[in-house]
Amino acid sequence: MNNLEYLPFEFRGDAKEFFKIWIVNIFLSVITLGIYSAWAKVRTNRYIYRNTYLNGSNFEFNANPKRILYGRLIVFSFYALFLFSTDVINNPTLASMILILFLLFLPWLIRQAISFRLKSASYRNIHFKYKGKAKDFYKIAFFYLIVFLVPLFLFGMLISKYQKDSILALIALLLIVVFYITAFPILYKNYKSIVINNSYYGKSQFNFNAQKKDAIKLFFKIGLILIVILIIVSSLLVAFGFIFKAIGTTKSNILVQSLISIITAIFYLATIAFFKGLYDGYISNFIRNNTTLNKCKFKSDIKPFRLGFISFINILATLFTLGLAYPWAKMRYLKYKANHTYFKCCDYESFISDGKEQANTIGEETMDFFDIDIGI
Amino acid sequence: MIVMAKLYDGISSKEHIVQIEFTNDKRVVIKSFNINEPIEDVKISTRLGNTPRLIEFKNGIRCKCDDNDKIDEILQTLKLKNAPIYKLESSWKLAVASVVAIAIFIIFMLTAGAGYTAEFLADRLPQNILDKASHITLEQLDKSYLHKSNLSNEKKAQIIKLFRKLTNDDKHYKLHFRSSPAIGPNAFALPSGDIVLLDELVFLDKDKNLYGILGVLAHEKGHYVYKHGLKSIIKGTIATSVISYFTGDISFIVTTLPTALITSKYSREFETQADRYAKSELKRLKISSKPLAKLFIDMEKYFNKKYGSKNDKSSALDWFSTHPVTKDRIKYFNKD
Repeated sequence: MNNLEYLPFEFRGDAKEFFKIWIVNIFLSVITLGIYSAWAKVRTNRYIYRNTYLNGSNFEFNANPKRILYGRLIVFSFYALFLFSTDVINNPTLASMILILFLLFLPWLIRQAISFRLKSASYRNIHFKYKGKAKDFYKIAFFYLIVFLVPLFLFGMLISKYQKDSILALIALLLIVVFYITAFPILYKNYKSIVINNSYYGKSQFNFNAQKKDAIKLFFKIGLILIVILIIVSSLLVAFGFIFKAIGTTKSNILVQSLISIITAIFYLATIAFFKGLYDGYISNFIRNNTTLNKCKFKSDIKPFRLGFISFINILATLFTLGLAYPWAKMRYLKYKANHTYFKCCDYESFISDGKEQANTIGEETMDFFDIDIGI
Repeated sequence: MIVMAKLYDGISSKEHIVQIEFTNDKRVVIKSFNINEPIEDVKISTRLGNTPRLIEFKNGIRCKCDDNDKIDEILQTLKLKNAPIYKLESSWKLAVASVVAIAIFIIFMLTAGAGYTAEFLADRLPQNILDKASHITLEQLDKSYLHKSNLSNEKKAQIIKLFRKLTNDDKHYKLHFRSSPAIGPNAFALPSGDIVLLDELVFLDKDKNLYGILGVLAHEKGHYVYKHGLKSIIKGTIATSVISYFTGDISFIVTTLPTALITSKYSREFETQADRYAKSELKRLKISSKPLAKLFIDMEKYFNKKYGSKNDKSSALDWFSTHPVTKDRIKYFNKD
């Protein structure tokens, strides 16, 4: 069976069906004081994975809700201990110890979270797997710190030595900006290499092979778009400010004023959502177009502005329905992304299993709890 | 009973189309793979929307079957229990009921529920923890907002005498003199029974017996007796956590606004209660509440002036929203 064409991923999730699952999940989570939320997570992910098809077969989410619950309890108790040490017994030593411990473990936790997501997924009863080492994550974290701190440190030294030379300071600042916009995309690319090149589908290895200059170009483009968006948004906010002033601050106008602040806040959220979608589009294209599995290529032709607009409408719909439109928004977003991702495979039946393992949940639940996006 | 399914052996990604037969003696048979297992050893996943059903065998073989209705029918015929979760997840009636129940729950937790919980917890939290927390709070305040009092010793002695009278020398109550130009004329009670009085307020009281101050102290004692501070904190925490739980990542717009509105409303109820307490205490001491009314008028004037001159949302405005020095309030203290 040879398929030498690019086949699109297909998402068959239905907003109405998902709405019912979602609302029951929330209801049960509330009445069980959050315990059911672990099962809810499994059912939600299962719904999404099972509705994602490639070449007529769907994916499967295999995580064990009980383990998710344990992971959650552990993370929650550490967080409670942290809150307790800061707010109740007011012990800064204990609090900072927990914080330092958390930061020390963070690279390992991220690795665990990536591993969880891969191990929990399967396609045609062949499991995904992650074989990356925690060491690599510590290395990347270390490089991030160095790249971030060293120029600032040098800049500080320079400033303290030649205080009066403002031209020198300006040049140095410019150099730092140039350094950052070249260094961070490269680090990001390296991070993605560590994530993807150690990912396996059965015995087959994923391969991420992107050019440094492409990464720099990509982030440069995203940066420019971000600047344009910020300019537009801030000029609109200034306009809002003028309206504010014109209305004045008498008591009867408080209603109008609060209306304007609500509109401003919504506008602000919608802009963030737009940018998030746009960013997701660019990054997904970049990652997928440079990734192969057993020399079979992935392809992605997401239109970033279209995805940004979808995300923009999604947040507005969610806000104005007090959250009820969330399932619809989620399905719509996933559908667009899946339909614009392709895989060209010579033989879908040739993949061999490498066994399966239960996934460890602690890293995943930490990332989930603090809403950290590990971007996989 | 026969269903068609796709079989994956778990060794390769090869897909096989198979017939699964469920026999009347509760066995699952796939002839082409020599599978013949009792149904207890086969895991049939609970239905999830219309996604393909997963049928899992002990040796790692998995089948996926699109015909959900047929499988439900088979499970029913074989009198095997079908997890109830799909029933909940598939009914529009229950979905709507869930929405309503969640909405009621949120509203309840933000209003009466928070109140009950606060009442319940406030009576059960051990006093020594409250004392410790209060002392830490006072220490923190001393570091940031509060300064040493500049009152003369005579004035302090006069106030302490009034305070002793008010508290019947109960050692649990402690009066602290402080000053704070940033906060302005004010006084507050901590859940430990420590009451902090600011110089700025003492200077405002024109009554020669300082009965206005006595009134304020009685009012603050009321806050302590009814555990208002503690209840406000509990209610605020509940409101914030309920709202942030339900809003998830779009939290920050929704969390700050309603919490502030709600907490200021709580305080208004509490203020009235403390006012009533103050009045009864003054009555017990056979002291007129008129000086207190006078003090409130002066406070209002002070904050109006401060607010008017600053012309922005200063802390004074916030202070007003929780301590409404309304005409009603002054009227209440003006009649004996």
